[in-house]
Amino acid sequence: MTKILYSDDLTACFSAWRKEGTKVLGPVQQAKTSGFGEVQDAKELDLDLVLTDRTLKELFFPRTEPMLSYSIGKQQIDTSEFLPSEHPCIIFGARPCDAAGMAIDDELFNWDYRDEYWFRRRDRSVIMTIACKESDDFCMCTSLGLAPDSAKGSDILLRPLTSGKGWQVEELTPKGSKALLPIASLLKEGTEEAAPTAEVPVLFDLEACTTWLANPENFESHFWKEISERCIGCGTCTYLCPTCHCFDIQDEGDTYEGIRRKNWDSCSFQLFTMHTSGHNPRNTQSARWRQRIMHKFNYFSDKFSVHSCTGCGRCTRECPVDMGVRETLQAISTLPK
Amino acid sequence: MSIQQQYRSRAKELLQDGSVKMVIGYGEGTTATRRRPIFITNPDDTDRLVLDAACKTNLAGYLLREGLLADQKSVAIFLSPSGVRTINILASESQLSSAQVVVLGFQIQGDTVKALEGTKASDFSPLIAKRKEKRKAQPSHEMTRKLEQMTPAERFAFWEGEFSRCIKCYACRAACPMCWCRRCVVDNNQPQWVNTSSHTLGNLEWNLVRAFHLAGRCVECGNCSEACPVNIPLHLLNRRMTEEVLTAFDHYPGADEHQEPVLASFRKDDPETFIL
Repeated sequence: MTKILYSDDLTACFSAWRKEGTKVLGPVQQAKTSGFGEVQDAKELDLDLVLTDRTLKELFFPRTEPMLSYSIGKQQIDTSEFLPSEHPCIIFGARPCDAAGMAIDDELFNWDYRDEYWFRRRDRSVIMTIACKESDDFCMCTSLGLAPDSAKGSDILLRPLTSGKGWQVEELTPKGSKALLPIASLLKEGTEEAAPTAEVPVLFDLEACTTWLANPENFESHFWKEISERCIGCGTCTYLCPTCHCFDIQDEGDTYEGIRRKNWDSCSFQLFTMHTSGHNPRNTQSARWRQRIMHKFNYFSDKFSVHSCTGCGRCTRECPVDMGVRETLQAISTLPK
Repeated sequence: MSIQQQYRSRAKELLQDGSVKMVIGYGEGTTATRRRPIFITNPDDTDRLVLDAACKTNLAGYLLREGLLADQKSVAIFLSPSGVRTINILASESQLSSAQVVVLGFQIQGDTVKALEGTKASDFSPLIAKRKEKRKAQPSHEMTRKLEQMTPAERFAFWEGEFSRCIKCYACRAACPMCWCRRCVVDNNQPQWVNTSSHTLGNLEWNLVRAFHLAGRCVECGNCSEACPVNIPLHLLNRRMTEEVLTAFDHYPGADEHQEPVLASFRKDDPETFIL
């Protein structure tokens, strides 16, 4: 016997959670672009999407957020901090690759310094992931050692029923179990089978890639220039990546009064590494693309024993010039080590 | 011979006889319906070139790659008529010499692609002149008209809504062949002219600054809207600007390479009616 949640009961679940003071968010279409938004009714959700255009990370690491405000007077300097609220929320219908991305970034945001902005939002949120029945041409979770039903980063995993009428419910964390209490009466015990998960082909040999990347001789390889020749240096791949986490701190205002903000930043941009002197250690787009790949599959992995990529495929899916992690790693896996 | 075969052979000849050092064209992409920019220097690789109705990206911006044209050698490039207009504008703005550009012209009509006669950008001037007349006669697009009929407050709300999705990835800038500034105004931080944050103000500032910088320069190639990962209809702004300069100054950007940039030239007989 397994716990089953039927789609017909979903709106009732949302009401039950909201009654407890919990916000409910899920995949929605927001003016031609899909992302995660607050919902009242299950009808607002778009659960047929293979993957939302925008990632889950925006819920924990918004593209811009105020950190503090300052005001400098003659006698004193006043600052006040803007910390995210601890208002609980449930994210219904994340995908396994996105959820895994959050677990990967937990490492980063709690390494030499604990990022309160990230963790306040992480701690207050419960991620209910739905395993994928379908994939598209860009999905590559299996190439990254994950799967369409990976549990990594999720608090609850839902497996779609063969009938299409609901999901098997798998509790993964204490936070997840707690979130199910208000809807306990809406969960049924059943034996209904789960639909088979999507078949996502393995596209490259990850180990061969990381071995190649780890060889210092390849750092200056001509390969980098060739593979990134058409890169136009926009930030699409990084901003739509569930694990890319770079940010910039900007003061908006003047010398006396203003707001300090934390904004997304991207290693694709020339300005990212520009020194005040005018010298730029990554002065070419190929050096910047190499950095992105090396960071994900070498530096990050060395430090945290996990690659900073979940195979969601958005980098390729959304790239204006059809580049991405996929092509690069496919090419690397065929190179002599 | 199919048009694709014809253009492959032409590209091969150009590389073989040394008239160009590189061919910039389209190749197969990740999926069957995707095309990607490719750069061919070896005549034997010309069979990688693809030419069909899916070849929509304006490739002209690649010609401005640092150092590419510095050796005075020529480069051949696949261009649609809007791509050729881009070359004219870039030449008139002193960003390249059109003598170094060998045009492999084509035109997409529905699902088919048609070859265009000519090799130099100037060979296409009669065609562009015809397109200008066609553009003048063309009624405003339905959405442009709809925007026009809105009250300023409604229009502001419309754009505020569209721009609220902007994530400041600058893909519009990166994909636009007209955005050739070495240092974009938003990357200037002393002073910080434009807010870098992607909040309402920062997004409005960025997208409007870009639209104004494109007035009289945009060839409506569609690269920006195509590149935008959050699907902001940027072309609506540019289309409106195009219609404005066409009506006010009879200016069709990129008509030929001697055309003066509309916002960077001065005429004594300009009535200057906009000055209060």
